[in-house]
Amino acid sequence: MEIREDLGPVRLRAIMLLLTVFILFGALHVRIAQLQILEGDHWRAMAENNRLRRLPLASVRGRIYDRRGHVLADNLPTWNLLLFPDEARNLDETLLFVAGLGVTDAASLHTRVNQRGVDRLAPMVVGENLDWQQVARVRSHQSDHPELSVVAGFRRHYPFGAATSHIIGHLRLVSEDELRSSVNLDPSTRVGATGIESLADDFLTGQAGERWVVVSAVGRQLGVVRENPSASGKDLAVTIDAGLQQVAAQALGERAGSVVAIDPRNGAVRIMYSAPSFDPELFSGPLSPDSWGELTNDPRHPLQDRSLQGTYPPGSTIKPFLALAALTEGLVTPNWTVHCAGSVILHGHRFRCWRRGGHGKVDLEHSLEASCDIYYYQLGQRLGIDRMARWLGIFGFGQPTGIGLPSEASGLIGTPEWSRRVRGTPWYAGEAVSVSIGQGPVLATATQLARAFAALANGGRLVTPHVVVDPDQAGFFDLDLDQTHLARVKRGLESVVHGETGTARSLAGLPVAGKTGTAQVVRLQEGVDSKDLAPHLQHHAWFVGWAPLVDPEIVISVVVEHGGGGGSIAAPTAATIFTAALEQSPGSPSNNGSQE
Amino acid sequence: MEHRIDAWLVLAVAGILGASLVTQNAVSQVVGTQLLARQLLWACAGMLTLIILSRIRLDHYARLAPLAYGLGLASLVAVLFFGEVRSGTRGWFAVGPLTLQPSEFARVATILMVAAWLGRCSGRRLSAKEAAGVAALVLATAGLVALEPDLGVTLTYLPVAVTALWLGGLPRWAWIWLVILAIFVGVAGWNTVLKDFQKERVLTVFNPERDPYGVGYQVRQSKIAVGAGGLAGEGVGQGSQSLLRYLPAQHTDFAFAVWAEATGFVGATGLLLAYALLLYRIGMAAAVAESRFGLILAILVGGWFAFQVVVNLGMVLGLLPTTGITLPLFSYGGSSLLSTCVALGVVQSVWRHRLVNQ
Repeated sequence: MEIREDLGPVRLRAIMLLLTVFILFGALHVRIAQLQILEGDHWRAMAENNRLRRLPLASVRGRIYDRRGHVLADNLPTWNLLLFPDEARNLDETLLFVAGLGVTDAASLHTRVNQRGVDRLAPMVVGENLDWQQVARVRSHQSDHPELSVVAGFRRHYPFGAATSHIIGHLRLVSEDELRSSVNLDPSTRVGATGIESLADDFLTGQAGERWVVVSAVGRQLGVVRENPSASGKDLAVTIDAGLQQVAAQALGERAGSVVAIDPRNGAVRIMYSAPSFDPELFSGPLSPDSWGELTNDPRHPLQDRSLQGTYPPGSTIKPFLALAALTEGLVTPNWTVHCAGSVILHGHRFRCWRRGGHGKVDLEHSLEASCDIYYYQLGQRLGIDRMARWLGIFGFGQPTGIGLPSEASGLIGTPEWSRRVRGTPWYAGEAVSVSIGQGPVLATATQLARAFAALANGGRLVTPHVVVDPDQAGFFDLDLDQTHLARVKRGLESVVHGETGTARSLAGLPVAGKTGTAQVVRLQEGVDSKDLAPHLQHHAWFVGWAPLVDPEIVISVVVEHGGGGGSIAAPTAATIFTAALEQSPGSPSNNGSQE
Repeated sequence: MEHRIDAWLVLAVAGILGASLVTQNAVSQVVGTQLLARQLLWACAGMLTLIILSRIRLDHYARLAPLAYGLGLASLVAVLFFGEVRSGTRGWFAVGPLTLQPSEFARVATILMVAAWLGRCSGRRLSAKEAAGVAALVLATAGLVALEPDLGVTLTYLPVAVTALWLGGLPRWAWIWLVILAIFVGVAGWNTVLKDFQKERVLTVFNPERDPYGVGYQVRQSKIAVGAGGLAGEGVGQGSQSLLRYLPAQHTDFAFAVWAEATGFVGATGLLLAYALLLYRIGMAAAVAESRFGLILAILVGGWFAFQVVVNLGMVLGLLPTTGITLPLFSYGGSSLLSTCVALGVVQSVWRHRLVNQ
């Protein structure tokens, strides 16, 4: 590099530049002195009155409507109490004051305050659903406790209460994991926990907003720094018929069990009720440990949704499907008869008919009408367990119905292979005999039975039950059944209600066809009458059927836990609901559900 | 022959880094992430880099300038395709647990290249071609940064071009034209490029109470924090404004306000003096430089450094609009710290390889 260049002019310009920089530095220093020395007191006073708060803006969750426009889930305005813990001069005193209001207890409040996250600007919801007296007390002590603030919020309300608690579902607080994965969630956010609230949570949930405000030392709002407005969730119309749902709830009364009704033409669910039920609004606010304990320790398990999670032996309701299977496979003809003498010995064991005296000569239609067990023991022997399992599978047994609601049970179809793989014990030939009358290793939900009966009612199309209409969903799956065989089975099911020896004659005044079922909880010993059993060992009672007889519009499936006989308990319950359904929808075009 | 490293400059850098680490540690409690350990690591790496680079002879830098500049350009292009996006800006490479911001390093490369280019120009003033060369070199890298888009970092390329043209020398009429051009670009930019919120920021400087809780909020908070510091400060980790997170971006753009609230007029003056000392020592390195390249290199680094300090403090003190320009060596950020140390290391090479009493 060249040495001794003429650097004179460059040096001069460099010096000028350096001088300029130092002049600017001087100006900055003067400014610092102005802010810190001359105006120091002013800015310090500003700092006192300069509290930034992040106020959550609640978003309104979408309403849920039934098919006739009744509101099933609504929002009520409510007052919530917010605490900005870092602003408190004396946090312990504040917590005592809050506890004194009666909205929460001091101990759990302490724990929550100590475990709060690092986001110091975010408030904690320390009280929900405040009454007017509580609001007034906070407001009158506002200057003592500027760190407390009463804000408007919403509380989920279910107008039909316990009648729709399982199907509509309830809310829960967001989990720790969800809080960590989404920055927009507030710890007091409630999301759908069960039922449609959970199924359609994304649709119903709006976008929570927030407002950043500056408040004075006594909590007065001085100005809004930034605001992200909240967005409401969308309203949802479901296929449920709230009126029928209430009828079902009343008809079932105090008994445990469930009622499921679907429209056989498209699978739209009209009723989905599980008893015993509970008040879903318990979950709309802070759930007290007492109420939670009461719900979870109840031996009748009110939180369980029996319509989707309760699996029961289907009993005689399985018979029409096995009859159809045997007809289609060519193993029996409609005129094939069996002589029922009250019992039969198969594989070295005596198997009984429910009617001790026997039915005498029984053909296909009569076997359904009178629900003769001997006929089906013999028919089951011809089919064999594998063919029975395959045909039950065709009608949707042993698999979820695809309704989309959380925790749907699959039920069970026992086979020798299942026995080996899952149960780990050998299969007994006698078990197949039990399966042929819906006992033993075969379990189904009320929803599965409603769906299977819908396939009989609508001429052989397996629909997917749904509560929310999804235009993309395939409507149904055509089972391609032989229509003459199907007609014979359907005639048998009509005789169940209208025949002289029908097991569901209590419905005879209604245009209903269907099947009763009585599922044993324990095997009856010789000489023991089922009526003498302890309540928890009583049989489960079934009735599944459709109405009207021509172009059926509704399939209703009723199961009553430990209810005794299907004909004596389940059928009358179903009758009440069928009556209401037929009154509401007397085949008039506007009400026949074709708009869905 | 090689002289010893400039102890005053090292002292100033160490002082600023020390104050920065104290501030980052205090802020860590508020923002909830441990900033100290990372920044300490970067500070050590920076000091080491500074010392190592100061030992390399100056003529090596002149020779390597085109290579560095080429690498700078390549990295800026690459980041546009493979970079990580942070709040809308595609400007970071993820390297294991670290992220590197090529726009910070490309600026050092641009300074080297411009200095090398001007080192070959021997006249009292730049010819039109030489001046155009300077403009082209800066525009190429700055343009790529603007594409990320990163307005703050793009702006820090501006003093490189202006200082280079000033040092190289332009006739008076050229400066008049440049000022007219700047006004024209300013007006055009105001009406087309700048978004409403950016205009609001500028207007807020002239009228601080324009929108105290909206656009003026950040600057207002910053002034409250600085002012509340008073003479002696509220103590490190004590200031209510920083502690309660009322102050925005307190580990980056507004880090000085945290320091000023904590240590008051005494601490703020001390930090400002450290920056003045650092710039003075850069000036001394330029003064002893015997080559045009060395002199211009040192002043370019000084010019850019001074620009960032003045613009950042001007923003924190409510004199200039908020632009997202950080305070070098003080704001949180590894790439900025390391690239600053690289630039200072090169300046120290000028100082150590000066010729005396020849």
